[in-house]
Amino acid sequence: MSLPLPPASNLHAVLLITKSRSLGPRLVFHYPPLSPSAAALAANKAPAWFGNQTSTGSIDSHSSSSDWDSSTENEGAEDDVEVGSRTSGGRGSGRTSASHRDRDRYRPGGGGAWGRQENIEDDDADLDGNGTGNGFRKENGDGKDKGGDYDWNTVLGFKVDALEKMLCPSKAFNKRRFELGVESIVFVGAPMFVREDALWKKGRRKKKEKVLDPDLLANLNIEEGNGDSKSSVKGSGSTVMEPFDYPQGFEPGYGHGLMSGAASGAVSEAGSDTRSNSTTENAAPDMTMFNVVFVLNPPALEYQLRVQEMYDNVTRKYAKALKYEQARSQYVWKESKKIIDIKQRAKENNESVSATWRKIINTSALAKSIAIMFDAISNDKIAHVHFDATFSTSFQIPQQDSIPYLPSALEPQMPGLWLTTSNVVIDDNNDAPMTQHAALLLLEDAETLVKELEGDAKGNATALAYYIRAIIPTKSLLKISVKHNIQAQDMEYIARHLVYWRRARLIAPLHPRDTYIVSPNADMSALQAAIPSYSVRFPTLPSLPKILSMLSGTPRHFRTFIPTNEHREAYMEILAWLMRGGWVTQLRTFAWVRVTAEIKAMVAQEMEREVLIKKAEEARREASDTDSLTESLYSDKRSSFLSAGRPSTPLRRTGRREMEDENMEASTILSPRTGYGWRGSPARPASDAGSTSSNRTAIPLSSARPASPSQITPQQTKVHRPSPLHLKTTSPSRPPPTFSPTSPSVAPGPPSPPPSPQNFTPSLVLSPQKANSIEARWLEKIGQRFEEPELREHWPMLLRYLDGKHALEDVGTREGLKRKKVAALFAGVKEGGWLVIVRHW
Amino acid sequence: MPTRAIKSIFFTRFHHEKGSRVLHQIPEGSITPSRAPSALATPLFDFDSVTTYLIPTQQFCDRLLTFCTNHYRVIGYPVCIREGKYSRNEFIFNFAVVLEEAVADWVAYGEVVRKLGRLLRGLEEQGGFLSSEEERVWEDEGWSEGRGEGAGGGGRQGGLVASKVYALCEMVLEDLNNYAECMIPIDDSNTINLKLFPTHPPPPPIYPHHVPLLTISLDSLTSPVSSDLTLTRVLPFINGIHSVSHIAQLADTDLSLTRKAIQHLVYYGCLILLDIFSFGAVYAPTAEMGWFVTDQSVQEECARYVRVPHIQFGKGSMKMGSESERGGAERTSIITEASQRSDVSISSSSTTTTNTNTNPNIALNLTTPTTIFDALDHPSTGPKISSETLIMLYASLRQGLPLKSWVLENLPLLHGIDIRRFITFGIIKGILYRVHKYAIATSTFPASSNRSPAGGLPPSLPSSSSVHRDSDQSTIRGTHTPQHPHPSQSQSRHLSHKPSLASTANVFTAPTPHGRPDEVQGPRLESLIDERDIGAGLPLVKFLDGMHCFDEICTELGLGESVVEKKVKGAGEVQIVYR
Repeated sequence: MSLPLPPASNLHAVLLITKSRSLGPRLVFHYPPLSPSAAALAANKAPAWFGNQTSTGSIDSHSSSSDWDSSTENEGAEDDVEVGSRTSGGRGSGRTSASHRDRDRYRPGGGGAWGRQENIEDDDADLDGNGTGNGFRKENGDGKDKGGDYDWNTVLGFKVDALEKMLCPSKAFNKRRFELGVESIVFVGAPMFVREDALWKKGRRKKKEKVLDPDLLANLNIEEGNGDSKSSVKGSGSTVMEPFDYPQGFEPGYGHGLMSGAASGAVSEAGSDTRSNSTTENAAPDMTMFNVVFVLNPPALEYQLRVQEMYDNVTRKYAKALKYEQARSQYVWKESKKIIDIKQRAKENNESVSATWRKIINTSALAKSIAIMFDAISNDKIAHVHFDATFSTSFQIPQQDSIPYLPSALEPQMPGLWLTTSNVVIDDNNDAPMTQHAALLLLEDAETLVKELEGDAKGNATALAYYIRAIIPTKSLLKISVKHNIQAQDMEYIARHLVYWRRARLIAPLHPRDTYIVSPNADMSALQAAIPSYSVRFPTLPSLPKILSMLSGTPRHFRTFIPTNEHREAYMEILAWLMRGGWVTQLRTFAWVRVTAEIKAMVAQEMEREVLIKKAEEARREASDTDSLTESLYSDKRSSFLSAGRPSTPLRRTGRREMEDENMEASTILSPRTGYGWRGSPARPASDAGSTSSNRTAIPLSSARPASPSQITPQQTKVHRPSPLHLKTTSPSRPPPTFSPTSPSVAPGPPSPPPSPQNFTPSLVLSPQKANSIEARWLEKIGQRFEEPELREHWPMLLRYLDGKHALEDVGTREGLKRKKVAALFAGVKEGGWLVIVRHW
Repeated sequence: MPTRAIKSIFFTRFHHEKGSRVLHQIPEGSITPSRAPSALATPLFDFDSVTTYLIPTQQFCDRLLTFCTNHYRVIGYPVCIREGKYSRNEFIFNFAVVLEEAVADWVAYGEVVRKLGRLLRGLEEQGGFLSSEEERVWEDEGWSEGRGEGAGGGGRQGGLVASKVYALCEMVLEDLNNYAECMIPIDDSNTINLKLFPTHPPPPPIYPHHVPLLTISLDSLTSPVSSDLTLTRVLPFINGIHSVSHIAQLADTDLSLTRKAIQHLVYYGCLILLDIFSFGAVYAPTAEMGWFVTDQSVQEECARYVRVPHIQFGKGSMKMGSESERGGAERTSIITEASQRSDVSISSSSTTTTNTNTNPNIALNLTTPTTIFDALDHPSTGPKISSETLIMLYASLRQGLPLKSWVLENLPLLHGIDIRRFITFGIIKGILYRVHKYAIATSTFPASSNRSPAGGLPPSLPSSSSVHRDSDQSTIRGTHTPQHPHPSQSQSRHLSHKPSLASTANVFTAPTPHGRPDEVQGPRLESLIDERDIGAGLPLVKFLDGMHCFDEICTELGLGESVVEKKVKGAGEVQIVYR
């Protein structure tokens, strides 16, 4: 029942712990400098569990938090006292609390976003959260190892030495997920141990894969033009795009084995020259382990998801990057010693924590990278980390860029998220990758992007800028690449990267002939801020509310809103702007073929005829075998009579008795509900067509049932919407669409005697591509009914899209046909009343 | 709760000389190797590498401590009792459970472990429950060589008297795995009661314009649902038609308390939230439509749910439908009849179920698909509604099309279908969404709002501007604007002498389409309202930021939609947005 949840890292601190021969376990660095105490974090979480503070949930959340306080041996109380005295000072450096509060407000899953009244609470919690000023407490004595010379004794409300001990796992945790929960906060780390041979990485046997660092591309340092980098670039592209392909187990998480992600790339480029010096230096390694620990406090129900996300995307990748650097140049240990040094000195001079931290961050690249990590990840942004001059990379927890369904009032809201089914993977093998046909909607202005790019690119910026400037949301990538003479693969590659790093979104190309509506998921709370920025952008055009009002009536082609041809471009720009903000979404058309009773009757008639012909033929064959029997002679005559082409009347007479039986059978079948009884019924049609159809109905009916989520009645679900859509985006490998249960069960046995339309009910063909033989015949028959030859010719092609999963708007681009022509074709089909059309996003 | 989720329960003690030891483990050999005949071949994980987390430093004692190792999640609650009577003045133990790492709702187990830890602490402090049997245990271990021996020792071969703690471990494991709860008497005055409570997500905020609908029939429960007075008073009025604020009125309860009571019901999953049904509302299909089309069982469920048990009304409307080229007034009556039908179906369904209930009021609760089945599932009550019809009907709803116009468009198909239930079913299943209506004050608004309270606003000004806007809108909206004006007067008259239900559905949102010609024609009326309500127009301002849908505004102000719309338009430059 994992619903898609809004992004929320729940990150509250990042710690770096090392274990060395000289110093033992050591908490080298933590960020933010004034971390909220664990007790405060735990207390903070109560509203997230129960929405309103006032609610009297049965689980003792409140008692737990209060107990927590009491059990921390009045540290909590001391914290509180100190908060009062030094909130102002604490705020400056401990900026985390403020930012958290902001984020929590947009986080419906958490407490803050549900109720407006809770903002007050948040503020309270905030004060608690700030109660971290343990830094100035002089507490001599307790630290056994440190000999009481520590000035700053607690981090997160824990004694530093206790924390150090807890966060230094045994070697059994090497390269495994380290997960330690203390009440409701959790420490997630990826401990890295030095190898037995005192190296930090295996001696290089061979380059595993020639991979350019994919994450470099996050900084948009895409190296284009280098002919030989092409292949590697593509390879890495694919690895980057599948960061979530792990089959929800933890194997890859534990393994660390594969060289995917951050550190992989640099190995190849820098490995050779650095390995030698690292081996010499490593002769007697001082540091034996380091552990980067991310401190989260996820809500109970999101626990597994959040921890997994953090570990897979951030913790593990970051630790690996550090390990790579460590192997290369003793980076971690050198920097750690630097940090420890500064701390030591500051401690002796009684300097303030925040000032010292500023100094540390300015001096140590490692400390700075941790700070950057924290600031970005805790705000659900992308962290660009520069380890040193040659190695920089990016980290993020990937976010959804669209949802296919609208959250109900009882589900976590994600206002502003793009609402569309166009990203839902349709699990058809014959589906060409849509990327080429999609357009790229930049989420920032091209110029902003280009500038950003020039900021940290090293030379290829101009080439890239050219690409980025070429991207417009009204043209598909294919068209753009043709027009600007860009290789299609390059284009796709850039597109994928821009999408992965949240710079762009793949959309169906914007077109004036498409229909757009105000998205039901639009974030109306952002409206007041959006109005001015819109009017700056489009000062002479109708205001934002006006445009939204226009788009919220009866759905019409966007074209009809454009007053004149000169306005066209401007209006398309407005549309792109609206799409970007999730204000509007495309209304897409989906259709199924509706088979009328008439068609069914016709097909049934035909089939009946065939059956009889066949029977007659069989009979004749038998007759020829046993020549002597007179009866067979009769039948022979009969069959020849039949084959002469006058089937109807004699036909009815011959097989009357058995037909009556079957007739009864058929009449009970008329109601779709009795579909089960159809299986193995004696009325199995004699023709091949009939028998296969009954076979095929029987299987999916039984198999589709349990899989179908509809079984969940509203009383069990808390209106957790039981739809396949929920699964589609998360799991790329959706089980094949369940076979239509409706139509085949309605399918009458061919032999019902007078196959007149009254005996049939119209039904839908749910998936023409997977139609059973009777359905296929219906479809064929419908195809024959079209008058225009063009329609008849294109009918099989159109059928591919009439399964309710493909938007008819996409047909033109996919098939390379003119939009107008496709529209005309569908209009022709629609005119005949053959379609059931649904329009949604 | 997953069945048999607890893989192991074990009791660890810190001994001042021997260090951390597992004294009891269920099953044998799950934590440390054991020679017992039934022991597991290999422990679930390596005990030595995790002792730090089972017997941590004092800082981490008396807290729920969990860690993951070897794909298992160990949840412990280390307890440290400091008292002079123990050696080194402290007594440290941990009673921990082992789950598979991927168990989603492990927090429920955490709560049990926490409770157990505290209880054992209490028992130990009271009478040395743990330490009293321990001397023997440690001695046992002294005699036997292996550490695993000691683990089993307490329970089996070691003592003449079976260890109480071992028995406790065993019972907790078995009972929690089998029944998700347990009750273990310890002595005359102490009993351990444990239960796994599943964690529910926090309930969303409840707004006055939400319409609650029960998903289970609470009155069928033998014991009263709650001793909460508000809840008891509110319950009879929850029927999927009344909004929260109306329920508060009917039950004569405080609105905020009512909201909270309903929030509780949501929390426990026995209630869902709908929107206020009215024939002026706009509904459109969602992407779940594809699911509805392909899933036959939902279609059947729908057919059962929406069918009107008595056909007479349906026949009437059929006749009307065939003569659909009648005057506007006639159509109005069709509409009202349709609403009547919704109405009647409710009351009739309630009459079918009242037999079982003593209180006829409560029978109104039975409006959900699941509870109504029995009432409606008599095959003789009406013709079967074909799946195809349902699909066509849902598909024909669209943005910009008020329900009443839709009814007129599809009258022949609606034979025997209760429209309100039809819509409600769509909402419940997520096939439909309500297209809400918002008013957004544009930039010119603050100026006019500043002026209007000052009273200097000439009555003609807002009306003329609104005339202008209206024409604007009609060009934008195009053809859908219903050409059949329903005199809201006559309709409300019609509704007023009817019993509660239909009228309540319409009290908040009188189904008046905006941009209607007669609205444009009546500037006099509008200016009248403006003059009268110029002071009352003030509270409107806060609703015009696009975050408050008309349902909400109407509920807050206690006014009909048409009145609110007029007021809103009179208040200044306003754009109407449907979302």
